[in-house]
Amino acid sequence: MKINKIFSIMLIAASMATATAFSQAKITVKGSDTMVILAQRWAELYMKSNPSATIQVTGGGSGVGITALINGTTDICNASRPMKQTEIEKLKARYNTLGVQIPCAKDGVTIFLNEANKVEALTLKQLSDIYTGKIRNWKEVGGNDAEIRLYGRENSSGTYTYFHDEVVKADYAASVESLPGTAAVVNAVKKDVNGIGYGGAAYAVGVKHAKVKKDANATAYLPTAESIGKGEYPITRFLYMYLRNRPSGETKKYVDWILSSEGQMIVTEVGYFPVK
Amino acid sequence: MLSDFCTMIIIQTKEINMKKIFTVAVLAVMSVYGFSQTQKLDSLKESIENHQGKLNALDERVLVNESDLAKLNKIKVSGYIQSQWEYYGKDLVKTNEPTNTFYIRRARIKFTYEPADGVKFVLQPDFSTGNLSLKDAYAIVNIPKLNGWTIWAGQFNRPDYEVEYSSSSRETLERSRLIRAIYPGEREVGAKLEYSGTNVPVTFQLMAMNGNFTGANAKDVDSKKDIMARFVYSAKMPSAGLGIDFGVNGYFGGNRAKTNKYVNESNGTLDSVKVGDYLKKQWFGGEIRIYADVLGGLALKGEYIAGTNSTPSIIAASSTMAQLKASPNTVRNFSGYYLYFVKNLGLKHQFVAKYDFYDPNTKLSGDAAKSEIWYKTFTLAWQYYLNDNIRISAQYEMPQNEKNASIKNIAGTSNVQLNDNTFSVRVQAKF
Repeated sequence: MKINKIFSIMLIAASMATATAFSQAKITVKGSDTMVILAQRWAELYMKSNPSATIQVTGGGSGVGITALINGTTDICNASRPMKQTEIEKLKARYNTLGVQIPCAKDGVTIFLNEANKVEALTLKQLSDIYTGKIRNWKEVGGNDAEIRLYGRENSSGTYTYFHDEVVKADYAASVESLPGTAAVVNAVKKDVNGIGYGGAAYAVGVKHAKVKKDANATAYLPTAESIGKGEYPITRFLYMYLRNRPSGETKKYVDWILSSEGQMIVTEVGYFPVK
Repeated sequence: MLSDFCTMIIIQTKEINMKKIFTVAVLAVMSVYGFSQTQKLDSLKESIENHQGKLNALDERVLVNESDLAKLNKIKVSGYIQSQWEYYGKDLVKTNEPTNTFYIRRARIKFTYEPADGVKFVLQPDFSTGNLSLKDAYAIVNIPKLNGWTIWAGQFNRPDYEVEYSSSSRETLERSRLIRAIYPGEREVGAKLEYSGTNVPVTFQLMAMNGNFTGANAKDVDSKKDIMARFVYSAKMPSAGLGIDFGVNGYFGGNRAKTNKYVNESNGTLDSVKVGDYLKKQWFGGEIRIYADVLGGLALKGEYIAGTNSTPSIIAASSTMAQLKASPNTVRNFSGYYLYFVKNLGLKHQFVAKYDFYDPNTKLSGDAAKSEIWYKTFTLAWQYYLNDNIRISAQYEMPQNEKNASIKNIAGTSNVQLNDNTFSVRVQAKF
């Protein structure tokens, strides 16, 4: 009798939960600072043509977005790096899903140099040595006899993680000045003749872009639509949207629009590269 | 005419005088002004130098503070408190003892210190009611140039899914009876090599440990170390919204017969070994977890383990033969499994059904099994996630026992199904 009562209470609770589970008033988007201008543009244009939709976009970094997705405080997470296995395990533990990964744009991680810097191209190895502190003077890579000053992102940034995992592949030098956002990195390099920075292509205004090559014998490429489209630029990455579950309702409509030709046109306008 | 001329001369003389006076006056004012300006400039220069000095001092202070803050940022503090109310079935309550109670099931603070990339130290005490114990104390070091490989050393969870699955996330309030029996206290003291693939969806764990941890910190009681190995492959089928983890695990160790040559085997017979010989402690397991995105998350999770466990006799070597025979070492064949069904309903709710089975002695049943009876436990649970930090759980656990002459209810009747169901409500605060 007691078991039946408790079982009934649990069933009623489960039914009530189901009834309230799928209501969603607005879409919140949080995460990558690299993607924030793109996400804001998408949201503005989508809301213009869909006045009933409310889309709220904030940055903070890919790590912040992924944490928000796991905590349930955002519907969509923007990330400039893939989710780590440990983060997927957290999603599994809390929601019993692996999350849904949607590549929504391509980006070439751009190496920013001051316009007065005479260095034209760098290999991946040189970039790694520069950011680990093994190479400390510009003359070691064909530049002036001057100390290299390093600018980078904070560790909550997806670009920080991506650059670490794909280029640096070791601990960053302690002398890297961490800045909050790619715009701040660009600004610092713009003012510093001996500075170097990295970040999303859409922010690279007023600084020189270094060509990047896989090794000393390879061809050096700038991050252009062509080199990224062909996969020639060595630091090409996807930009992602992550959801907890497969999208439905207004979220699905929004995601479908982003992946449509209209949404992908905005990717190009902002300075990134379409996925298709 | 002359008078006009004279008048003109007088006027010009006056104008010249006026100009002189004006010039002298201007020069006088300018010199006073200039002097005052020089004074002001000197004072301004002095003030700037003063402020510059103050700014430099502030700069130094900021640098010191930044450096201190950077050190503090390397320390992370997290934890959780589980406050619980339980209502017991009548066969769990002795005469005049309470049928229900409030208590603190777990109260843990976890300190994590990351002095550099790839190096982590963890310390986690538990402060639950009537208990202060060290749960975790270990270091993790990334192996240089081997991406994904880490070495662990210290006291930490044994490599098993349900053991490593934190109680703050677990869908039922306690682990399965099987896991509690073969991995008491969950932790062990030892070293572990772990690979967690980034590009390859594989997890591999290999641990060497003392093998006699029961919840207290213990040094090894023999020279041989026990070994655990686990391998898990995680398959993803994103288009179907499906993920499957499957793997195998094994335990290879033993217990030394230190004082007593008698061994009570699984089938109840009394054998003998040499004092100093090792009694087998070895089992194998298989695990599978299926995650499906069906109107929200759904999971089926299970693990099966079977093998041989042993318990060393602690009786003194000087005991009589009768005493030695009465308290022999034991070797037992056992088996068990658990199966979870978990369904998420939106962001806040989770419904759980769990079935688990454990037979501590598969060779004996009925009256011959005595107290080593099997248990099948059916558990229903519901979780409500109030916010990021608070989770409320309600659970009803219904164990079913093997009936025999040795198992008696509170009234003293044997061969009965015990009323040992438990209803629990837990509020968990996590930070």
